[in-house]
Amino acid sequence: MRPTEVVDPGTDIAPDTDRPWIVLVWNDPINLMSYVTLVLQKLFGYSLEKATELMLDVHNKGRAVVSSGTREHTEFDVYRLHEHGLWATMQREDA
Amino acid sequence: MARKSKGPVTRIDALSYSLNIDAQDRTTLNALLDQLRDVLMNDSSSDIARRLFPAAYHQDEQHEQEYQRLMRDELLSSRLASLSLTSSILERETTTNNIVLTADELDALMRSINSLRLVLGTLLDVDEDEFEAHLVEDDPGYGQYQLYSYLGWLLDWIVTAQTEFN
Repeated sequence: MRPTEVVDPGTDIAPDTDRPWIVLVWNDPINLMSYVTLVLQKLFGYSLEKATELMLDVHNKGRAVVSSGTREHTEFDVYRLHEHGLWATMQREDA
Repeated sequence: MARKSKGPVTRIDALSYSLNIDAQDRTTLNALLDQLRDVLMNDSSSDIARRLFPAAYHQDEQHEQEYQRLMRDELLSSRLASLSLTSSILERETTTNNIVLTADELDALMRSINSLRLVLGTLLDVDEDEFEAHLVEDDPGYGQYQLYSYLGWLLDWIVTAQTEFN
Protein backbone atom coordinates (compact mmCIF):
# COMPACT_ATOMS: atom_id res chain seq x y z
CA MET A 1 0.00 0.00 0.00
CA ARG A 2 1.42 3.35 -1.01
CA PRO A 3 1.38 6.11 1.53
CA THR A 4 -1.11 8.86 0.82
CA GLU A 5 -0.77 12.47 1.62
CA VAL A 6 -3.16 13.60 4.32
CA VAL A 7 -4.27 17.21 4.26
CA ASP A 8 -4.64 18.71 7.70
CA PRO A 9 -8.12 20.25 7.74
CA GLY A 10 -7.00 22.76 10.35
CA THR A 11 -9.16 24.25 13.04
CA ASP A 12 -9.89 27.65 14.45
CA ILE A 13 -10.13 26.27 17.95
CA ALA A 14 -6.97 25.56 19.91
CA PRO A 15 -6.61 21.92 20.90
CA ASP A 16 -7.50 20.98 24.46
CA THR A 17 -4.59 20.74 26.84
CA ASP A 18 -4.36 18.61 29.96
CA ARG A 19 -5.79 21.38 32.09
CA PRO A 20 -9.30 20.41 33.16
CA TRP A 21 -12.33 22.61 32.83
CA ILE A 22 -14.28 23.70 35.88
CA VAL A 23 -17.94 24.60 36.34
CA LEU A 24 -18.75 27.62 38.47
CA VAL A 25 -22.11 28.46 39.99
CA TRP A 26 -22.52 32.16 40.70
CA ASN A 27 -24.56 33.86 43.39
CA ASP A 28 -27.80 35.49 42.38
CA PRO A 29 -30.49 37.12 44.51
CA ILE A 30 -33.35 35.02 43.11
CA ASN A 31 -32.63 31.31 43.48
CA LEU A 32 -33.59 29.92 46.89
CA MET A 33 -30.75 28.50 48.97
CA SER A 34 -32.77 25.31 49.56
CA TYR A 35 -33.36 24.98 45.82
CA VAL A 36 -29.68 25.40 44.94
CA THR A 37 -28.76 22.76 47.51
CA LEU A 38 -31.29 20.29 46.12
CA VAL A 39 -30.18 20.86 42.52
CA LEU A 40 -26.53 20.23 43.44
CA GLN A 41 -27.53 16.99 45.19
CA LYS A 42 -29.71 15.89 42.33
CA LEU A 43 -27.34 16.65 39.45
CA PHE A 44 -24.03 15.64 41.01
CA GLY A 45 -25.04 13.14 43.67
CA TYR A 46 -23.51 15.22 46.45
CA SER A 47 -24.43 14.54 50.06
CA LEU A 48 -26.59 17.12 51.81
CA GLU A 49 -23.50 18.31 53.72
CA LYS A 50 -21.38 18.75 50.57
CA ALA A 51 -24.20 20.41 48.61
CA THR A 52 -24.93 22.77 51.51
CA GLU A 53 -21.23 23.67 51.79
CA LEU A 54 -21.10 24.51 48.07
CA MET A 55 -24.36 26.47 48.25
CA LEU A 56 -23.00 28.52 51.16
CA ASP A 57 -19.80 29.20 49.19
CA VAL A 58 -21.98 30.48 46.35
CA HIS A 59 -23.98 32.63 48.74
CA ASN A 60 -21.13 33.97 50.86
CA LYS A 61 -18.19 34.07 48.42
CA GLY A 62 -20.12 34.79 45.25
CA ARG A 63 -19.30 31.55 43.46
CA ALA A 64 -18.25 27.94 43.89
CA VAL A 65 -16.68 25.27 41.74
CA VAL A 66 -19.24 22.48 41.55
CA SER A 67 -17.66 20.10 39.03
CA SER A 68 -14.63 19.62 36.79
CA GLY A 69 -13.46 17.44 33.95
CA THR A 70 -13.22 17.43 30.20
CA ARG A 71 -14.74 20.21 28.15
CA GLU A 72 -17.51 17.93 26.89
CA HIS A 73 -18.34 16.73 30.41
CA THR A 74 -18.43 20.20 31.92
CA GLU A 75 -20.49 21.59 29.03
CA PHE A 76 -23.10 18.98 29.85
CA ASP A 77 -22.99 19.94 33.53
CA VAL A 78 -23.45 23.63 32.65
CA TYR A 79 -26.39 22.74 30.42
CA ARG A 80 -28.09 20.79 33.21
CA LEU A 81 -27.53 23.64 35.67
CA HIS A 82 -29.02 26.10 33.16
CA GLU A 83 -31.98 23.74 32.76
CA HIS A 84 -32.58 24.21 36.46
CA GLY A 85 -32.16 27.98 36.32
CA LEU A 86 -28.81 28.25 38.08
CA TRP A 87 -26.31 30.82 36.83
CA ALA A 88 -23.41 28.57 35.79
CA THR A 89 -20.34 29.12 33.62
CA MET A 90 -17.26 27.09 32.70
CA GLN A 91 -13.61 27.89 32.19
CA ARG A 92 -10.13 26.40 32.31
CA GLU A 93 -9.13 25.52 35.86
CA ASP A 94 -6.53 28.24 36.24
CA ALA A 95 -8.11 30.80 33.92
CA MET B 1 -53.29 33.53 46.80
CA ALA B 2 -53.99 31.90 50.15
CA ARG B 3 -51.25 30.18 52.09
CA LYS B 4 -52.08 27.18 54.18
CA SER B 5 -50.33 26.28 57.41
CA LYS B 6 -49.82 22.79 56.02
CA GLY B 7 -47.57 22.53 53.01
CA PRO B 8 -49.11 22.40 49.52
CA VAL B 9 -46.72 19.62 48.46
CA THR B 10 -46.17 16.41 50.40
CA ARG B 11 -44.45 13.14 49.74
CA ILE B 12 -46.76 10.12 49.50
CA ASP B 13 -44.07 7.48 48.93
CA ALA B 14 -40.80 7.07 47.07
CA LEU B 15 -42.51 7.46 43.68
CA SER B 16 -45.32 9.93 44.22
CA TYR B 17 -46.19 13.29 45.72
CA SER B 18 -49.35 15.21 46.46
CA LEU B 19 -49.97 18.77 45.25
CA ASN B 20 -52.76 20.66 46.96
CA ILE B 21 -53.44 24.21 45.77
CA ASP B 22 -56.84 25.69 45.07
CA ALA B 23 -58.40 26.18 41.64
CA GLN B 24 -57.82 29.93 41.59
CA ASP B 25 -54.11 29.51 42.24
CA ARG B 26 -53.86 26.81 39.57
CA THR B 27 -55.57 29.10 37.05
CA THR B 28 -53.25 31.99 37.91
CA LEU B 29 -50.18 29.79 37.63
CA ASN B 30 -51.31 28.49 34.26
CA ALA B 31 -51.80 32.03 32.97
CA LEU B 32 -48.28 32.88 34.12
CA LEU B 33 -46.93 29.78 32.39
CA ASP B 34 -48.58 30.93 29.15
CA GLN B 35 -46.82 34.28 29.49
CA LEU B 36 -43.53 32.56 30.18
CA ARG B 37 -44.01 30.38 27.10
CA ASP B 38 -44.49 33.53 25.05
CA VAL B 39 -41.30 35.06 26.47
CA LEU B 40 -39.32 31.91 25.70
CA MET B 41 -40.59 31.78 22.12
CA ASN B 42 -40.29 35.46 21.23
CA ASP B 43 -37.69 37.17 23.42
CA SER B 44 -34.03 36.59 22.74
CA SER B 45 -32.33 39.78 23.83
CA SER B 46 -33.81 41.17 27.07
CA ASP B 47 -32.42 40.79 30.58
CA ILE B 48 -35.03 38.07 31.10
CA ALA B 49 -33.84 36.11 28.07
CA ARG B 50 -30.25 36.45 29.25
CA ARG B 51 -31.26 35.10 32.66
CA LEU B 52 -33.13 32.13 31.17
CA PHE B 53 -30.35 31.43 28.65
CA PRO B 54 -27.17 32.46 30.47
CA ALA B 55 -23.71 32.42 28.94
CA ALA B 56 -21.72 29.24 29.49
CA TYR B 57 -18.33 30.69 28.49
CA HIS B 58 -18.22 34.14 30.04
CA GLN B 59 -14.52 34.52 29.20
CA ASP B 60 -14.48 33.12 25.67
CA GLU B 61 -16.71 34.61 22.99
CA GLN B 62 -15.82 32.04 20.32
CA HIS B 63 -16.65 29.07 22.52
CA GLU B 64 -19.76 30.87 23.74
CA GLN B 65 -21.12 31.33 20.22
CA GLU B 66 -20.47 27.67 19.47
CA TYR B 67 -22.16 26.61 22.72
CA GLN B 68 -25.25 28.73 22.09
CA ARG B 69 -25.49 27.46 18.50
CA LEU B 70 -25.47 23.86 19.73
CA MET B 71 -27.35 24.10 23.03
CA ARG B 72 -29.79 27.01 23.00
CA ASP B 73 -32.50 25.19 21.05
CA GLU B 74 -32.09 22.16 23.27
CA LEU B 75 -32.49 24.29 26.39
CA LEU B 76 -35.53 25.98 24.86
CA SER B 77 -37.10 22.60 24.06
CA SER B 78 -36.42 21.38 27.58
CA ARG B 79 -38.03 24.47 29.13
CA LEU B 80 -41.07 24.27 26.85
CA ALA B 81 -41.53 20.56 27.60
CA SER B 82 -41.38 21.32 31.31
CA LEU B 83 -43.97 24.10 30.94
CA SER B 84 -46.25 21.87 28.89
CA LEU B 85 -46.16 19.08 31.46
CA THR B 86 -46.73 21.55 34.28
CA SER B 87 -49.74 23.07 32.51
CA SER B 88 -51.25 19.64 32.01
CA ILE B 89 -50.77 18.90 35.72
CA LEU B 90 -52.48 22.13 36.78
CA GLU B 91 -55.40 21.49 34.40
CA ARG B 92 -56.21 18.05 35.80
CA GLU B 93 -59.75 17.59 37.04
CA THR B 94 -59.98 17.40 40.81
CA THR B 95 -62.82 17.84 43.27
CA THR B 96 -60.55 17.99 46.31
CA ASN B 97 -57.77 20.27 44.98
CA ASN B 98 -55.49 17.29 45.44
CA ILE B 99 -53.34 16.14 42.50
CA VAL B 100 -51.03 13.14 42.65
CA LEU B 101 -47.69 13.65 40.90
CA THR B 102 -44.90 11.35 39.84
CA ALA B 103 -41.34 12.35 40.69
CA ASP B 104 -40.79 13.49 37.08
CA GLU B 105 -43.93 15.60 37.19
CA LEU B 106 -42.84 17.20 40.45
CA ASP B 107 -39.47 17.96 38.86
CA ALA B 108 -41.19 19.67 35.91
CA LEU B 109 -43.36 21.67 38.30
CA MET B 110 -40.29 22.67 40.32
CA ARG B 111 -38.35 23.86 37.28
CA SER B 112 -41.34 25.76 35.90
CA ILE B 113 -42.04 27.55 39.18
CA ASN B 114 -38.36 28.43 39.44
CA SER B 115 -38.41 29.80 35.88
CA LEU B 116 -41.37 32.01 36.80
CA ARG B 117 -39.41 33.29 39.82
CA LEU B 118 -36.39 34.00 37.63
CA VAL B 119 -38.49 36.06 35.24
CA LEU B 120 -40.37 37.97 37.93
CA GLY B 121 -37.27 38.44 40.06
CA THR B 122 -35.38 39.82 37.06
CA LEU B 123 -38.27 42.16 36.19
CA LEU B 124 -38.37 43.42 39.78
CA ASP B 125 -34.58 43.55 40.01
CA VAL B 126 -34.96 41.77 43.33
CA ASP B 127 -32.52 42.60 46.09
CA GLU B 128 -32.21 39.98 48.86
CA ASP B 129 -31.77 42.61 51.57
CA GLU B 130 -34.60 44.91 50.50
CA PHE B 131 -37.17 42.34 49.38
CA GLU B 132 -39.20 42.30 52.61
CA ALA B 133 -39.61 46.09 52.54
CA HIS B 134 -41.74 45.79 49.38
CA LEU B 135 -44.27 43.45 51.02
CA VAL B 136 -46.41 46.30 52.33
CA GLU B 137 -49.70 47.25 50.73
CA ASP B 138 -48.78 50.84 49.89
CA ASP B 139 -45.67 49.75 47.96
CA PRO B 140 -46.23 50.35 44.21
CA GLY B 141 -44.95 46.86 43.41
CA TYR B 142 -46.85 45.14 46.21
CA GLY B 143 -48.86 42.77 43.97
CA GLN B 144 -45.80 41.61 42.03
CA TYR B 145 -43.72 41.17 45.17
CA GLN B 146 -46.57 39.24 46.77
CA LEU B 147 -46.69 36.96 43.73
CA TYR B 148 -42.90 36.55 43.84
CA SER B 149 -43.18 35.66 47.52
CA TYR B 150 -45.94 33.12 46.79
CA LEU B 151 -43.81 31.44 44.11
CA GLY B 152 -40.92 31.23 46.58
CA TRP B 153 -43.19 29.73 49.21
CA LEU B 154 -44.49 27.11 46.77
CA LEU B 155 -41.02 26.31 45.48
CA ASP B 156 -39.66 25.90 48.99
CA TRP B 157 -42.39 23.35 49.76
CA ILE B 158 -41.61 21.47 46.53
CA VAL B 159 -37.97 21.29 47.64
CA THR B 160 -38.90 20.28 51.18
CA ALA B 161 -41.12 17.43 49.93
CA GLN B 162 -38.12 15.98 48.12
CA THR B 163 -35.60 16.38 50.90
CA GLU B 164 -37.39 15.69 54.18
CA PHE B 165 -36.92 11.92 53.85
CA ASN B 166 -33.28 12.02 52.75
